[in-house]
Amino acid sequence: MQPTSSMKEEFLQKWQMGLQIYRPLIDNTSVSERMKAIKLSADVAMASLRRGTTCWSRALIQKTATEDNFLVRQMLSGIKAETLINKKLPKVMCHRKIVRRSKKILRRRKSRSAIEEVAAKARKLVNKKTQGLRNVVPGGEFMSNDVLLIQETLDYIVSLQTQVNVMRSIVDAAEAGSER
Amino acid sequence: MDLSGGFGARSGGGVPFREVTALESLHLGGGDEFRRMVPPENAGGFTALLELPPTQAVELLHSSSSSSPSQPTLHSLGTLAFPSNSVLMERAARFSVIATEQHNQNGNVSGETTTTSSVPSNERIKTEPAETETCDQAAVEEQNNRCGGKRKDFDKKVKSSTKKKNKSSEESEKLPYVHVRARRGQATDSHSLAERARREKINARMKLLQELVPGCDKIQGTALVLDEIINHVQSLQRQVEMLSMRLASVNPRIDFNLDTILASENGSLMDGNFNGTAMQLAWPHQVMETEQSYHHRQLQQPPPQQWPFDGLNQPVWGREEDQDLGNDHNSLMVGAANLHPNQVKMEL
Repeated sequence: MQPTSSMKEEFLQKWQMGLQIYRPLIDNTSVSERMKAIKLSADVAMASLRRGTTCWSRALIQKTATEDNFLVRQMLSGIKAETLINKKLPKVMCHRKIVRRSKKILRRRKSRSAIEEVAAKARKLVNKKTQGLRNVVPGGEFMSNDVLLIQETLDYIVSLQTQVNVMRSIVDAAEAGSER
Repeated sequence: MDLSGGFGARSGGGVPFREVTALESLHLGGGDEFRRMVPPENAGGFTALLELPPTQAVELLHSSSSSSPSQPTLHSLGTLAFPSNSVLMERAARFSVIATEQHNQNGNVSGETTTTSSVPSNERIKTEPAETETCDQAAVEEQNNRCGGKRKDFDKKVKSSTKKKNKSSEESEKLPYVHVRARRGQATDSHSLAERARREKINARMKLLQELVPGCDKIQGTALVLDEIINHVQSLQRQVEMLSMRLASVNPRIDFNLDTILASENGSLMDGNFNGTAMQLAWPHQVMETEQSYHHRQLQQPPPQQWPFDGLNQPVWGREEDQDLGNDHNSLMVGAANLHPNQVKMEL
């Protein structure tokens, strides 16, 4: 599924809304501050498109809420903002090191055939990659099963593509205009 | 031969009687004993076969030659595509049909079996989690039902596969549990069934991901595909950062105003519109903003606004109005299928 134009429109609207919040607040003089403002509002806009249905959007909103609570509250007013922000993150995070150590202890006397060794190596590799994916996708650590993880990744990629497309067109327009 | 009973109804209408007696004698009470009769997953040995009722043993014998060498003991995310798997699938295609839990069955007509069914659209994915999650749990619980279904499966694999598959897919839509049919030579205990259903789900979604990420179709193997996906996501995130930095540096103040209609998919179209009516730099104290011109430009609903639009004496937007009105109107009314950057104003 490619990003649709309605999604882009919605994202643009929400993003603008977020930027407007920043405008009267500070006289943004430094580039880094402005970049942070732009990025945060873009992230919240992207996440709010999903209206809290997906795990990554909730995690993203919570992450930006730690950085700028006010922005998130303003942007999400009316769309169950309070529940999204105040909800505690699910404590499903398992300490990987501890789990790994205990698994090693349990794994003592298993006889390995050749096929099983290959299978085990392949499985380990895949698990490592899935862990890498969890690190990249926001809220990935809380997705306990792989099906959910892949589903969320799909949705996240599509949303990222909308975000990138819209931002790129704005930036191109802005840069071309400023060259005059 | 009444096949409309579905999985739940063991009316025995379609089952020949001698089968019933043979199986009933083994069915000692609940599905457990029956399941113990079913050979374990690595069904190669004769001793396991001897415990089975004769009909099933024969069928398993036929399939064991083909299935045992290629029985993958991998329970991972469907890695390492075995070349023999396709052979197995061809055989399985001729004899059985895999009824997956996914609703979209259009691609799987006439007994063609692919472990990943045809690509369901993304919209369905959103509605799927609600169903498939319950499917998963209930699938493990509903063992007896499926065991009863397996008896019928072993007998009736060849016949009217499409009809049955459609029926089962319909049923799976209504019922909370999953009907997954075992292929020839595959174990039928509930754990491996649930695992197989889960694996198929994962494979289906991986396929979607492969189509989404450019350049992933050629890659074989889950680990590499996952690598590509991770790289793609990281690159997208980095692009967002770069773009926001560019925007921040190009635009000294972050308030830019866009009342554009964004309808196109590619932003490259807007290069053509840059000629006369492109970005104008507004002076900060323009008082020319009028409400109706703003509304003229907008062919869509104005966004839910947090600032009042009525008293627009202040240049909240800081836009330059006068000479652009005519041009902008024309270009806006025409098509309006592109992002019109001529309305993007910036403040200095």
